[in-house]
Amino acid sequence: MSGDFLTVTDLHAGYGDARVLHGVDLAVGRGEICAILGPNGAGKTTLLRALSGMVRVRGGVRLDGTALAGRPPDALARLGVAHVPEGRGTFTPLTVEENLRLGAFTRRDRDGIEADLERVCAYFPVLRARLGQVAGSLSGGEQQMLAIGRALMLRPRLLLLDEPSLGLAPLVTAELFRIVRTVNEQERTTVVVVEQNAHLALDVAHRAHVLESGRIVLSGSAARLRADEQVARSYLGYRV
Amino acid sequence: MAGFLQQVIEGLGAGAIYASLALALVLIHRFTGIVNFAQGELAMFSTYVAWQFTAAGLPFWAALPLTLAVSFAGGMLIERVVIRPVEGAPELTVVIVTVGLFIFVNAAAGWIWSFLIKDFPNPFPVGAVEAGGLTVSHSTLGVLAVVGAVMGLLYLLFRHTKVGLGMRAVAADPVSARLVGVRVGRTLALGWGLAATVGAVSGVLVAPLLFLEPNMMGGVLIYAFAAATLGGFDSPGGAVVGGLVVGVAETLAGAYVGFVGSDLKVGVPLAVILCVLLLRPQGLFGRAAVERA
Repeated sequence: MSGDFLTVTDLHAGYGDARVLHGVDLAVGRGEICAILGPNGAGKTTLLRALSGMVRVRGGVRLDGTALAGRPPDALARLGVAHVPEGRGTFTPLTVEENLRLGAFTRRDRDGIEADLERVCAYFPVLRARLGQVAGSLSGGEQQMLAIGRALMLRPRLLLLDEPSLGLAPLVTAELFRIVRTVNEQERTTVVVVEQNAHLALDVAHRAHVLESGRIVLSGSAARLRADEQVARSYLGYRV
Repeated sequence: MAGFLQQVIEGLGAGAIYASLALALVLIHRFTGIVNFAQGELAMFSTYVAWQFTAAGLPFWAALPLTLAVSFAGGMLIERVVIRPVEGAPELTVVIVTVGLFIFVNAAAGWIWSFLIKDFPNPFPVGAVEAGGLTVSHSTLGVLAVVGAVMGLLYLLFRHTKVGLGMRAVAADPVSARLVGVRVGRTLALGWGLAATVGAVSGVLVAPLLFLEPNMMGGVLIYAFAAATLGGFDSPGGAVVGGLVVGVAETLAGAYVGFVGSDLKVGVPLAVILCVLLLRPQGLFGRAAVERA
């Protein structure tokens, strides 16, 4: 890959006295999909929240040379960081179209926004059919598509996905990951995805990191991790 | 029948004023989840500002936009200085802060302008329109027109502008709003400014009907609470309908229910509040709070 686009160095983060990340080092190349694997409570969600400014951090985060650490989430959104949070963050009383337009809230290019609305609807035809519908009435899978669509409306430089498969049927999840891969290939969007389902994550990702107790314990290409005996035993549920 | 319709129209005129203060309450509640007990006093203070402008020789219709601008800025300032420090504190804390604000603004108005009543100019020409046996005063028509215009502008703001979309996003989910890049703090201040402006309209409209004095909004605030409760504290449209219904109910009860008369009319909003809370706590147009287990 062409150099490191996102670099994380010695990142510490937590909530009040509870420290969750204890010095995470991470590098993601431009246009890469990077998967973060790990058991419950390892700090995967906190890592994403640290990258989008939702928790206080100590340490370095740089995106294409720009220091991100310490900036609030709205400032990071303006710098092109789109975070699809755990629980999807749907604006339930608003319509699907309004949810999507909110994704482009920080953009000023009216024509580009209209074009991207069209583009997102092409990725997720089910959303096009429901543009005028209240978002709270969507199914879980549709809301996850809406959340990803909303993030794409930013035309993000860095897309953060937190557990996109959570609570969804396997077919829906597979479709979501296929679309994430397509977006990544067509638009060279850099993606960091946290995922419990290691099979899926390793299928779509270029590189992966295993997070345990707030530290990266294993890194490598997705292919290498898939072949790794320890990963297989802990996260893939079989022995190689 | 004509007499009855006449009463209904009078009621709508009063109700429109309650509606605008109720709308101010609902705006704040949607954004912060709190009930701003000081809303009436802020409106009263704005009305004094308008009076000061007219006393300085400005015609009313020139004083009004200036007053609304001052109210908007004042509302934003109060959010920054008084409310921001208790943001995220328990509801009770914030409510007590608004009660403190109530007392402070009331006392400040008395200190600046004294507690003696003042005459407030009626912006509408004397006289009435007669049609089909009904007499509608210019004043009532004017109140309905002004409140209608305010509702229309708010609707346009919320439905058709980006600022409005951002405000609705913050009301729906502040965390998510911040993630998509909405400046939540600025938006909350904007909400307070807007509420103070809408409230100021109610003060300026009610002052010619009552007298201008620091306690003038006390009664109106109770009617506005009834209106917001009836319509639903999270529904701006509901606040308007609630205001009109309360206004009409109050007028009809005063006219037709013997023992109520003009003295017990203030009991009507209290009865409305009680009934709504017993029968449909979320109000007519509000959403019931549902939490998934």
